[in-house]
Amino acid sequence: MLALLPQAIVDGVLLGGIYLTVAMGFSLAFGVLHVIDFAVGEWIMLGAFVALTLTNWLHLDPLLSLPVIFLLFAAIGWVLQPLLQRVLSGSRGRPALMGLVFTFGLGLAFRGSALTVFGIFTHSLETVLSQGSLHFSRVAFFLTIPFIRLAGLVYALAVIAALNYLLKKTDFGLAIRAVAQNKEAAGLMGVDIKRTSGAVYGIYVGISAMTGVFIGAIVSLNASMGPDLALYAFFVVVLAGMGYLSGVPWAAFLLGLIQSFFLIYFNPSYVLLALFTILYTVLLISPTGMFRKGV
Amino acid sequence: MRGRPAWLWILLVIAGVGLVPVVMTDAFFLRLFTEALMWIGLAITWDIMAGYIGYLNFGHGVFFGVGAYTTALFIVKAGVPFGPAVALGGVAAGLTALVIGWPTLRLRGAYFAIGTWALNRAVGQLALVLDITGGADGMRLPPFLRPQFFSWVMLGVVGATFLVLWLLLEQAPFGLKLKAIREDESGSLAIGLNPAWLKLQAFVLSAVPAGIIGGVYAYWITFIDPSSTLGDLITDQATVMAVFGGLGTLIGPVIGAILFFAFKTYFWAYLSDYQVLYLIILGLAIAATVLFLPDGFWGTITKRQEGRRALHKGLALKETTET
Amino acid sequence: MPEPVLKVEGVTVTFGGLVAVDSVSFQVAAGEIVGLIGPNGAGKTTLFNAVSGYYKPTRGRISFLGRDVTGRQPYALAAGGIGRTFQIVKPFAGLSVLENIVVASYLRHPRQAAARRKAWEVLKFIGLGDRADLPAAGLTLAGRKRLEIGKALALEPKLILLDEVVAGLNPTEADQTVRLILKIRDAGMTILIVEHIMRVIMKISTRIIVLNYGRMIAQGKPDEVARDRQVVEAYLGESADATDGSTS
Repeated sequence: MLALLPQAIVDGVLLGGIYLTVAMGFSLAFGVLHVIDFAVGEWIMLGAFVALTLTNWLHLDPLLSLPVIFLLFAAIGWVLQPLLQRVLSGSRGRPALMGLVFTFGLGLAFRGSALTVFGIFTHSLETVLSQGSLHFSRVAFFLTIPFIRLAGLVYALAVIAALNYLLKKTDFGLAIRAVAQNKEAAGLMGVDIKRTSGAVYGIYVGISAMTGVFIGAIVSLNASMGPDLALYAFFVVVLAGMGYLSGVPWAAFLLGLIQSFFLIYFNPSYVLLALFTILYTVLLISPTGMFRKGV
Repeated sequence: MRGRPAWLWILLVIAGVGLVPVVMTDAFFLRLFTEALMWIGLAITWDIMAGYIGYLNFGHGVFFGVGAYTTALFIVKAGVPFGPAVALGGVAAGLTALVIGWPTLRLRGAYFAIGTWALNRAVGQLALVLDITGGADGMRLPPFLRPQFFSWVMLGVVGATFLVLWLLLEQAPFGLKLKAIREDESGSLAIGLNPAWLKLQAFVLSAVPAGIIGGVYAYWITFIDPSSTLGDLITDQATVMAVFGGLGTLIGPVIGAILFFAFKTYFWAYLSDYQVLYLIILGLAIAATVLFLPDGFWGTITKRQEGRRALHKGLALKETTET
Repeated sequence: MPEPVLKVEGVTVTFGGLVAVDSVSFQVAAGEIVGLIGPNGAGKTTLFNAVSGYYKPTRGRISFLGRDVTGRQPYALAAGGIGRTFQIVKPFAGLSVLENIVVASYLRHPRQAAARRKAWEVLKFIGLGDRADLPAAGLTLAGRKRLEIGKALALEPKLILLDEVVAGLNPTEADQTVRLILKIRDAGMTILIVEHIMRVIMKISTRIIVLNYGRMIAQGKPDEVARDRQVVEAYLGESADATDGSTS
């Protein structure tokens, strides 16, 4: 039993890395746009399916299609954001509420579209890294790390590094952080709110879609997988504290570990229940997240 | 709805609708009739939280499912007769709301949406893994195939729900207090309202009828499983119907439910090859309504009327009052 | 000596490291209009929030009508007889003007019919009767400020906290509001009022309390306070002349 522990931990960390990317984008989008995107799972799912389509048409390795996926979905997000903005700044009451309902509806429409086009069956993305893994064998434990999961980790680190650089070291990143802190003041200081919001949403959608490629390659893809993924995203951002980016890695790795432990030691069917219980307990005790820094 | 006892009109309408199953006895029609009523019930109960308080319950279906499974379990495993079993279904749903509502209602709307949404998925998963609920295979109930009976039962349940909600939300102070919380929760504290308690009451109020409806559904369809009773589709459709009809009123969701159900039925009849298209339409309908018709179909109509009336009344009063 | 309506003893309110209100003590006697003034950020609204239950004082005690009400919830205080307005007016925008007052009337008149009657009385008292069915969002700023007062009045409070109800109004509207405030005083309520418009607050207050950086630096009759060295210094850079209708 103990021999499996390193595997469980490593799997968890690798998985966590993947969730990390989505959660960061999601948290960023929330910080700037103040909207909880109920379609987050669908963005991931669509990214995976578009990659699948590209692979089938162009016989391209899905990993090579990553930049294309990012640009395509970032563009979609950029275009969609003004609509979202229109809902959120509605003159009729309860704009935040309407924003939630809007993204909820979008997610539904996307799921339906995917089901229509791709059917109900589960697919998987084959990449050049899908076969083969690293093996470690020692006296006390053994470890199998599929290359594709390692690639996922590399991807996650790259995304974190890129986001970090963007936010801390560029003017645009400064603008983003300003808008997140105080939209009005930022606007008064000359920040183009529309462009910034559009770009942030686009980045978030683009990242989510790219992550979909990895999830499709590592796990599988299915037109109905959106809701579960959304739950994971919510779990991470709520635990981290909504809008609090520094908390995301911890929460993401925790999620990954919980999942891998359940997979290896307990019954995988109970994962959702465990996550839900933890989510609820956190909401009960500390709604602003584990670090009490959330909004 | 003006003046003379509104409840009288409501009762008359319900009685009138109750005559329909007497006249139209075709089983297929009665099935549609009963289902339409079911959706009306689900839409108006969803609207209590969404429209009156402004809290989105994206897991409303969980009450339906809890009611259905509780009723089924009591009928199948404990031999409890239909009536009490359904009542117990409502109680179970109400208890769920109480237990879940207490922590989640303290939070802001978005967290509530996430929390209820997660609850729905978790309970769905619970039904899948437990043996007693039959897992993925679901549960079969003893058949009681009387279409007329179920139409009247559903009408009774939904009609009573509508009446009670009308009295509580449109006539009694309760409804206005909820709306005040929706408009400004923090400000409502200053005028003596206790939002936490009011929200919890409303939440339980939205859960119990949904649970009863679920219980009726179980005995009516004689088969339930996690995907049909605890799946996303229940909440998704109730949401569309209420949003499309018009949040914050009782009539809005009724109209939305009827319209959408009619649409869905024709869709099923003529485009059954493209069933998954329905999800797309659902989603786009929600998004489009929010964008273009935020007050919903009925809401837009009534707002225009109200606006005109208020203006005339105010202008008339101005002559008689000083400022 | 009759029990003061409000007794604030050593109240301190801190947020993290920031001390917004620092050991403030004062009393308000029945029938008084006590004015609370001070430069921006002096802690006036924070003090209001503490007295009305929105903030729990870090230290100190608040007594209302002889009973300790420190840290109690706003709705409990409302039931006990404290009404307030908000600096940034918070009408229930989606409800009509009448409905706004009706909701507040439920506190003392739980039945629908009685609450509506009460609401109409209040509407006439504040002069918004002709706009009863308009959506609250459609009111002008003056109307909204008046509605805000109306909601507090519907609670039939013994003490009413008015937070900048005159700011932002033109002189005519301001005068109407001042007349309303005096009407409220004449109706038997005690008033604690925050205001930046010196002309107004100096004229109607029986007593003035001055806050600066969270601390009380002066207390007394309006003309005494106006001459107080510390008060003048606190307002340095803004006109502190009590007869000038300045806004900050």
